[in-house]
Amino acid sequence: MTLSKLSMRNARRQAQDYLVYFVTIVMAAALVYAFNGLVFSQELLALSSMMEAMPVVIVLASILVVCIIGWLVQYTTGFMLSRRSRELGTYILIGLENRQVARLFFLENLAVGGVALVLGTLAGNLLFQALRAVTLSLFHVPYTFSFSFSLGALGLTLLYFALIYLFALFRCRRRIHTMKICDLINFDRQNEDEVIKKGRSRKRTFVVSIVFGVLGTTLLLMGNLLTGLVGAAFIIVFLYGFFLSFSSGVPAYYEKRPGKKYSGCQLLIFRSLSAKLGTMGVVMATIALLFTATLISEGSGMLFNAMFESRSGQTTCYDLFIGSGSQDEGRFDGYLEYIDAHIPVREARQYRIYQGENLQLTEYVKANANVYTDYDYDTLMRAGDYAALRAMLGYPAVTLEPGQYLIHCMSYLDGLLTGYDRPITVAGQTLKPGGVRSESFTQYLWDGNGRGFILVVPDELAEARPVSHSIYAAMTQAPVPEADYHALRAIRDEQDTRGGWYDTIFSKAAVQAEQASSYAMIVFPLYYLALVLTMVSATILTIHQLSEAGRFRRQFGLLGKLGMEAREMKRVLRRQFAIYYTMPAVPPLLISVPFLAALGGAFDPGSLSGPGQRWAIVGATLGVFFFIYLIYILMAYTSLKRSVLPAE
Amino acid sequence: MLHVQNIEKYYGSRNNVTKALDRISFTVEDGEFIAIMGASGSGKTTLLNCISTIDAVSAGSILLDGESIAELPQSELARFRRERLGFVFQDFNLLDTLTLEENIGLALTINHADSHTVQEKVRDVARQLGIEGELAKFPYQVSGGQKQRAACARAMVAGQSLILADEPTGALDSKASKNLLEIMTRMNRDMAATILMVTHDAYSASYASRVLFLKDGRLFNELIRGGRTRPVFYHEILDVLALLGGDVSDVI
Repeated sequence: MTLSKLSMRNARRQAQDYLVYFVTIVMAAALVYAFNGLVFSQELLALSSMMEAMPVVIVLASILVVCIIGWLVQYTTGFMLSRRSRELGTYILIGLENRQVARLFFLENLAVGGVALVLGTLAGNLLFQALRAVTLSLFHVPYTFSFSFSLGALGLTLLYFALIYLFALFRCRRRIHTMKICDLINFDRQNEDEVIKKGRSRKRTFVVSIVFGVLGTTLLLMGNLLTGLVGAAFIIVFLYGFFLSFSSGVPAYYEKRPGKKYSGCQLLIFRSLSAKLGTMGVVMATIALLFTATLISEGSGMLFNAMFESRSGQTTCYDLFIGSGSQDEGRFDGYLEYIDAHIPVREARQYRIYQGENLQLTEYVKANANVYTDYDYDTLMRAGDYAALRAMLGYPAVTLEPGQYLIHCMSYLDGLLTGYDRPITVAGQTLKPGGVRSESFTQYLWDGNGRGFILVVPDELAEARPVSHSIYAAMTQAPVPEADYHALRAIRDEQDTRGGWYDTIFSKAAVQAEQASSYAMIVFPLYYLALVLTMVSATILTIHQLSEAGRFRRQFGLLGKLGMEAREMKRVLRRQFAIYYTMPAVPPLLISVPFLAALGGAFDPGSLSGPGQRWAIVGATLGVFFFIYLIYILMAYTSLKRSVLPAE
Repeated sequence: MLHVQNIEKYYGSRNNVTKALDRISFTVEDGEFIAIMGASGSGKTTLLNCISTIDAVSAGSILLDGESIAELPQSELARFRRERLGFVFQDFNLLDTLTLEENIGLALTINHADSHTVQEKVRDVARQLGIEGELAKFPYQVSGGQKQRAACARAMVAGQSLILADEPTGALDSKASKNLLEIMTRMNRDMAATILMVTHDAYSASYASRVLFLKDGRLFNELIRGGRTRPVFYHEILDVLALLGGDVSDVI
């Protein structure tokens, strides 16, 4: 049998042994290809001028992803080398040269990687279509399926994987080259060395690491870049210290409580846990670190997603909005001239926002919610303008009863203001509350229909008050093209240099394009990273667990002989599994949940509809993470249960 | 205590049947120390597996304390093994991740013993077997002899009525073997343990009070020590082995 045949056969067998790893590499290749597809897709980059920066962002994220996949490949090939060293040693024993064996190992891993890459690229094409559909829908462009094979994306994916594989395999090759037969034959008996050996220093490390963990999380929550960085460093120290010293804590705990230790199947479970941590503390810590990064990137992605979505709607409800603080009667003339000539308008209205008499409602809102205030007064709107604007926007009509006022606010203030029952005084007349509306109404930024909220009052009362600012609002027949938007801004900038008032201009299309581009540049890479991180970490944990099949089989074989019932053995295996997979997920949960909650709270007021949405996002983050994680756990559990538990 | 009556065990398919045990009958009384000897392939381990309920007989019956093992339903077998049988294996079969104390305590845990008394019971047995000082160590930290003593302790700590030992000295050097055999003798004499030991080593067998010889699945001979000294008994065993043909080289 030739060397290449032998190596092909080994590669096939290896693919079965390491199916989970293989699937992960295929998925990773698919992700890398799909995201590279974004880099090279002229169609998507042309959607907005702001998308120009996307290739750089994706390539940067890809470099991180390549490092992570590189770690997986390097770790797994090293792991396979140790598991198969006896076999490789036997080849040398029967007369093959080290060089040939190294080539054999190299070739078969390359073959496995090559097959994974081909499958991954095919799957990546489908995934790219999904990304393309999402991106197009962000820009409100209709999606039509068009099969596209990007040579550039393929080339970049090939380059990344070549780097990953060649680096990992050259390391293994060097190791095999310099190994003696007896080293190879005994290589699989070596465990990861215990990094901290002495019991006392372990306990000290344990305590110190917990302190670092608490400090790190606190610093991370402070929301300052420098403290955040220090906090992240502290968390890394915590994770490594914790996992390297934890295995001393568990036996010490049970040593003092023999009754607990010997009750039920605790003994088997706690010992298997402490043995695992004793030998793979560094790996566990690294995986916990990756999980933390996963949860943070996935959660941040979701939070940003929610923020972009709400901001897109909140920034302006009109197709075109111009706000001006100028009192000049002809302040909109320059713009109107351009609009008349270039932009087909369906309906438009110019109106004014008036100054209320005091800060009565602003102060109430400030005392009870998070809000930005721009004015030294509550803002007012004429009921006539309000009714006309509602009609223009297609909102249901609202009537204002005599002697009443209406509140129109951002949706997150709805609940708070519905509870407001005090009258207000405008131009000497007292008005009673007449209801609250909270449709999108350009209240998120300055110069809009109030900031956060506005009071709608009878026309004559508003007109009796001084003007705050003026607004031109239009609904156009088609989305305002980017060029026209830039032209209007140019008019604004020119007026500004003439010493005029700095006007605010929004076009719904431009805002949407900006949000969509931000989404594509921030949210996509975060999800990309999170997916790869989850898969890589879960794979390493799973490979470790599956490689212990022999030990588990011996354990359950013995327990069966000693008279343990099959039902009980199943329970022990399940618990050993549960704890093994829970361990590296607990510290990341403790760190990332408060972090995400704090991040959600740090957004501009009104970006999220309230704490409920924030917690829903945290919940969704955990849901997605655990869904993927659970798939890996189930794969490992079903495969192991079959092979290690004695037949019933 | 144990009645083995005409048991037979066949392996293989219809066209190729191997008879591993052929109409074997014997009885073990309470407090006996019995060795089963024979060459490789003579059926020693099959016999032990049948008695230990790990394997089922093809014909015949095995009664332990009057209860027929063959008639026990599958679910009862596990309970039977943990309550009545103690095992000592050639390769110790201790769990690497557990200390010696925990390995011994495992037998009690599986038996759902009161968890607060486990430690005390383990220490008690360990003291009698001379491994009290090693209880906190892991199997890889102690010698083969100590491991095997821990295995013996596990085999009797839960009050099992019959200890089944499969080549217990197989992985030990001569000094450790001697030590272990003396301990097994003590377990038999002072702690009233009934022991059934499979071995192909005449020296080990000479510690038993009775030796059964198997050849090609059949009971070939039986030697009772009676009042003889151990060296004399040893030579008698060697004589039988010479008759059995061919295992002498193994025992010298």
